[in-house]
Amino acid sequence: MSHQTPPDSSCLDLWREKNDQLVRQVKVAQDSGLSLRRQQLAQDALEGLRELLCSLQGLPAAVAVLPLELTVTCNFIILKTSVAQGFTEDQTQDIQRGLERVLETQEQLGPRLERGLMELWDSVLHASSLLLDLLPALHRLAGLQAALWLSTDHLRDLALLLQTLNGSQSGSSEDLLLHLKTWSPPAEESDAPLTLQDARGLRDVLLTAFTYRQGQLGSSGLIPSLSLHEAASGLCPRPVLVQVYTALGTCLRKMGNPQRALVYLVEALKGGSALGPPLLEASRLYQQLGDTAAELESLELLVEALSVTHSSEAPQLLIEVELLLPRLDPALPLHCGTQSQAKHLLASRCLQTGRAEDAAEHYLDLLALLLDGSEPRFAPPPSPPGPCMPEVFLEAAAALIQAGRAQDALTVCEELLSRTSFLLPKMSQLWKGARKGTKGLPHCPLWVSATHLLQGQAWVQLGAQKEAVSEFSWCLELLFRSTPEDKEQGAASNCEQGCKSEVALQQLQAAALISRGLEWVACGQDTKALQDFLLSVQMCPGNRDASIHLLQTLRRLDRRDEATALWWRLEAQTKLPQKDTTWSLPLYLETCLSWIRPSDHETLLEEFRTSVLEPRGL
Amino acid sequence: MVPCTAPLWVVAAYRFPGQVWHLELLAPRRALYVLCAQKGVYCLSLDHLSRSTSQDDGDSEDSELPSFVIPVGPDACILPDASLCAFTVLEDTLVTLVQGPTQWKMQLFERPCPGEDPQPGGQIGEVELSTYAPPAGVPGKPADPRFLPVLCCVSPPASRVPHGQLWGPGSFTLKEALFGLLFGADATLLESPVILCGLPDGQLCSVALKVLVTSRSAPGDPKALVKILHHLEEPVIFIGALRTEPQAEEAAEETLPGEDVHSDCLVALGPYGRTLAIKASWDEAGNLVPELREYCLPGPVLCAACGGGGRVYHSTPSDLCMVDLARGGAPLDPTQPDEGPGGLPPLLCPASLSICSVVTLAVLSRAPEGGTELLALSAKGRLMICSLDLNSEAPGLSPVSRANTGQKIKELLSGIGNVSERVSFLKKAVDQRNKALTSLNEAMNVSCALLSSREGPKPISCTTTVGWSRLQLQDVLMATCLLENRSAFCLGQGWTLCIQVLTSSSALDLDSAGSATTYTIPVGQLSPGSQREVTLPLGPGENGTFDLPVTVSCTLFYSLREVVGRALAPSDSFEDPCVDEDPPDVLPEQEGICLPLSRHTVDLLQSLRFPGLAPPCTQAPPLRGPADPVDAFLEACREPGSQPGSQPAGPASLRAAYLPPSVACIKVSAELLRAALDDSHSGVPLCCATLQWLLAENAAVDVVRARALSSVQGVAPDGADVHLIVREVAVTDLCPAGAIQVVEIQVESSSLADVCRAHHAIIGRMQTMVRQQAAQGSSPPDLRVQYLRQIHANHETLLREVQMLRDRLCVEDEASSCTTAQRLLQVYKQLRSPSLILL
Repeated sequence: MSHQTPPDSSCLDLWREKNDQLVRQVKVAQDSGLSLRRQQLAQDALEGLRELLCSLQGLPAAVAVLPLELTVTCNFIILKTSVAQGFTEDQTQDIQRGLERVLETQEQLGPRLERGLMELWDSVLHASSLLLDLLPALHRLAGLQAALWLSTDHLRDLALLLQTLNGSQSGSSEDLLLHLKTWSPPAEESDAPLTLQDARGLRDVLLTAFTYRQGQLGSSGLIPSLSLHEAASGLCPRPVLVQVYTALGTCLRKMGNPQRALVYLVEALKGGSALGPPLLEASRLYQQLGDTAAELESLELLVEALSVTHSSEAPQLLIEVELLLPRLDPALPLHCGTQSQAKHLLASRCLQTGRAEDAAEHYLDLLALLLDGSEPRFAPPPSPPGPCMPEVFLEAAAALIQAGRAQDALTVCEELLSRTSFLLPKMSQLWKGARKGTKGLPHCPLWVSATHLLQGQAWVQLGAQKEAVSEFSWCLELLFRSTPEDKEQGAASNCEQGCKSEVALQQLQAAALISRGLEWVACGQDTKALQDFLLSVQMCPGNRDASIHLLQTLRRLDRRDEATALWWRLEAQTKLPQKDTTWSLPLYLETCLSWIRPSDHETLLEEFRTSVLEPRGL
Repeated sequence: MVPCTAPLWVVAAYRFPGQVWHLELLAPRRALYVLCAQKGVYCLSLDHLSRSTSQDDGDSEDSELPSFVIPVGPDACILPDASLCAFTVLEDTLVTLVQGPTQWKMQLFERPCPGEDPQPGGQIGEVELSTYAPPAGVPGKPADPRFLPVLCCVSPPASRVPHGQLWGPGSFTLKEALFGLLFGADATLLESPVILCGLPDGQLCSVALKVLVTSRSAPGDPKALVKILHHLEEPVIFIGALRTEPQAEEAAEETLPGEDVHSDCLVALGPYGRTLAIKASWDEAGNLVPELREYCLPGPVLCAACGGGGRVYHSTPSDLCMVDLARGGAPLDPTQPDEGPGGLPPLLCPASLSICSVVTLAVLSRAPEGGTELLALSAKGRLMICSLDLNSEAPGLSPVSRANTGQKIKELLSGIGNVSERVSFLKKAVDQRNKALTSLNEAMNVSCALLSSREGPKPISCTTTVGWSRLQLQDVLMATCLLENRSAFCLGQGWTLCIQVLTSSSALDLDSAGSATTYTIPVGQLSPGSQREVTLPLGPGENGTFDLPVTVSCTLFYSLREVVGRALAPSDSFEDPCVDEDPPDVLPEQEGICLPLSRHTVDLLQSLRFPGLAPPCTQAPPLRGPADPVDAFLEACREPGSQPGSQPAGPASLRAAYLPPSVACIKVSAELLRAALDDSHSGVPLCCATLQWLLAENAAVDVVRARALSSVQGVAPDGADVHLIVREVAVTDLCPAGAIQVVEIQVESSSLADVCRAHHAIIGRMQTMVRQQAAQGSSPPDLRVQYLRQIHANHETLLREVQMLRDRLCVEDEASSCTTAQRLLQVYKQLRSPSLILL
């Protein structure tokens, strides 16, 4: 078998010519910006490669034809994978078929037993030491196998394969990166049939992808990540380099090495393409460094960058880094989200860092983008980590109040309520239910109550006490009907991601009670205020602000004994180890709580200390 | 029902390169979008067409049928993708559903325009829907799906886009409450259109379009983007929406032209009649809750449409039915406050409209009198406008004006047409069912007759005989199977005769397994007493060899699918994916009844030819197989080295000289044979009788009988000579009682393989005979045990020697292995002529 004469050499030339022509067609497709034309060309080329492969594999395997056959196999797999945007079981079979064809020429195939892929590779690489012509094609196929295994997390097989490829017997199979680095595929002959992606290219992609994975694993990835730089610098195409630098930046930032991370991010930005990911990463870095101005500036640049480059970048018709990474991980530095996501990030950071005017402007821009943009590509943050649409409205309202634009905040709240009014329980029903008593109270989403709270705050700012109190009361009315989230259903249920916790509900109740209490105080109705503050302390015992407001009111009403008892409780609380209060409240709620924080509570407590302790001293 | 009387002209006919799965007309842009199976989406501009045809109209004013068939080429294909299964067009986007290897994928494209702007837009978004079990099919070429997914677009009522202008026909608007309930607050706040998607696995899911943005920098999370609304548990073939509440105060504004009705009920239908309806309602506490109801309508459903007044029309092969989802009359619960929307009816009663086999249905705009007009296409290709006037159920006798008479008559005629179509359809269905029942009954009778007759000749039999015939310059061994129906029943449609020809593995190549070929012959109509003959070739095979013995087994098979399946499928006159050729769940796993008839083994003795026995006039030319390489070799080596004085010998004599024929020998006690052959061959010498018995199934047996031959020279199928010699000898030293008369059958042939085959065939006959004799209880004579032991010991030694020689053969070099091989042949020869006798 092995000494079979090749089928008519002109036939071989013909096949080769066909392969080259198809590869050229794919390159043309790659370059044509029109995505549909591209898709058609790629599909046609894929079909052509499939046919070519069929005719090649229809004949008995012959050594003279094998290099071409393996090249066609590789091209076919590469194109198929990139068109389908992922590896499937088919590709495994394609690779296996290729390996079996090699063994056929060596008469080593033996009985068709259940042979593992790794065993096949072993025997093929063993046999190929005799077939030097085959080596470049085999390394390319091995690169594809490695990519497949990396994407499916078969790291042990991958390490073994690389070890065999490198011919190294010793060394732990675990050190995958080292194996990847030492793997040097043989240079391709200049007159070889055309390929879509050569073995070195595949190796570079593998290196990058693998280092990403390492980098995601945490600080243990330091050394490998740094060595990646050397490994990739010379050969990486520019976009990959940008990705690598961004990944390195992420890695270094997570390891607490912000200065070096910055260097890499600057390098990445010099790359000129795909500015989104490095900019987002830079903003995270500046946030960690506490450089708010720089952070916001990078976010602004990010928004700008995303607004410009909305031409849909088509994926390359090659095996790319993204194909080898676990899918849908928004935390990956490769993804920077959409423009609206960036805008929201910018706005919320402004609000968090106390730049209320900027925040308000950005939120208004964002709302305009979301509501008026007829182009659907400006999407709200859809994934669970981001807040849902009602929360964006609430944050906008909070920012507007913070910026002193209460009237605008009211408009935003009204817009929110009017747009969702038909989702809410019918108010007449609500009252009927209240009159009848227990007969099934309607519940309503938390954000509806929160809207009323913010409306009340806006009225406070406008000095309209009556309206404010009525809004707070509304809010409380709705809140006391709020049932735990798991009982909720229908329209509102998917919108509670940010404030699902019982804690949020409690804090919202406390905030509403304190807000109303403060209004009573302002009207001079201290008894009513006292009631609200008392309730708020009961509802939310951990809320220190509520206790202090209560303390103040008690003192004002000259109820010394109760005040002293409360003060003792507060003292005891401060002495206790502080409970972990790292729950994350929705941003609008945080903002709202900051408005009702008692300003001079330290002096108040000090006064109490002296007044309480004095009589003892006597 | 009013027939469509307006004259219609065929303006153009398009021919697409594949089956058309779906089409949408975007009227405002005068563009037709067509999904072609395995090809992609094509877009045709109707403007272009009307311009070109208007000129033609001027020229050929009076030609009644200007039909131009326009082939649609690949340049009209705006979205080539073989895995596309569904699409829908929105204002500026094209939404498609693609069948991936394991998942459905929804993709969003900027809507490419036909004609003037050929530059297609790019992909905007993509999301994976759900996993599914991929249908079995050739990898790479997906199997033709039986059910296609359904896409439709739902817009919120407040959408700023003027709906109905740039939207495809498959879209509708839902009322706020239902929209918000189904798709959530985010989609409501964003006023985003939502794509509803019904999948063949029964899933009904939704994707909000404004959220579906997945560029490479922001991959979408299917869990966040795709909302599964329901699982219908059968494929979703239709999604629609309708209004069940009467239009009260809004009616005035909503009847404005261009405004469409905001539906308050979503409907989804499966092919077997399962129907889902979803409405928004408020519970006692005032909370918005979805009201979901599933109904079962008579299936199989061919198509459906939602009409005004809460009516859903759905078509089955036998009827067009209408159900009313609006709650008729007053609310059921008087305590229910009037502002609460009415619920869905607990049961649906389909009302028949007496139109059968409508494959496509559309509800036309509401007629002014409150009736409805349906546009329907029947399976036979009739395009009908059905006008339903639901208010005037009892027309009564009213004075008919003369002007109305013509119209009335037309209506009546059209009604008659419909009724006759329906009658013919029903009649056909009944006929088919009757036929199937009759056929089933006969099949039952036949099966009982065959299975109950354990002894005696079977009422239906199949006998196999073998003979030679000459086909295309080649002698071919033919088997003739004769199927005879001696039962009282008729073998009708649905029966097939399956003949399996099973060759034994070649004796020379132990590894090769035998091959089996099955011939399936429809029996057609075989009435009692009649017979059918089937002839099929047994050899030579493709490589010119015969692999004897060959087993021919005949089986009768009754296909339930063929007979019953067709009757159950209500109509076979049209191809619609909904109508299954063989409905599932009705037929059992087994698809038929299988009755074995006979089994016949063709061996060498049956396929021997005797050219020497043939009458001289019809003597065939000497039969020689394909030029024997050995002969050729002998011929060749004779020429250069032939001595002048040597005798001019042909290859035959050379063969005789160099290759002595192989011989095998079987001895049978004459007593045994006589007993066995007595009844049929009395008065004939035992040797002749034995030979006749051996060749009983050979065509030459008559000549052998006529000439009373005891030895015969024949030709094996592969051309080698086979010599059969039968003689009587006496064996003395076996039995203490004296000599035993023994018949010795000797097989001689130059081909060792043929000796083996003949030997095998003879032994086979002997075995049968001995078994029969043993059943009759004949006892063998006394034997000299010592002598038997001796023979047995001799054999043991010979076998040991064989083993040893074979071992040696493996390790020896060429020279010595030659002698070993010769010795081996000798030992084999000794083994083949045993001194044992069959008694």
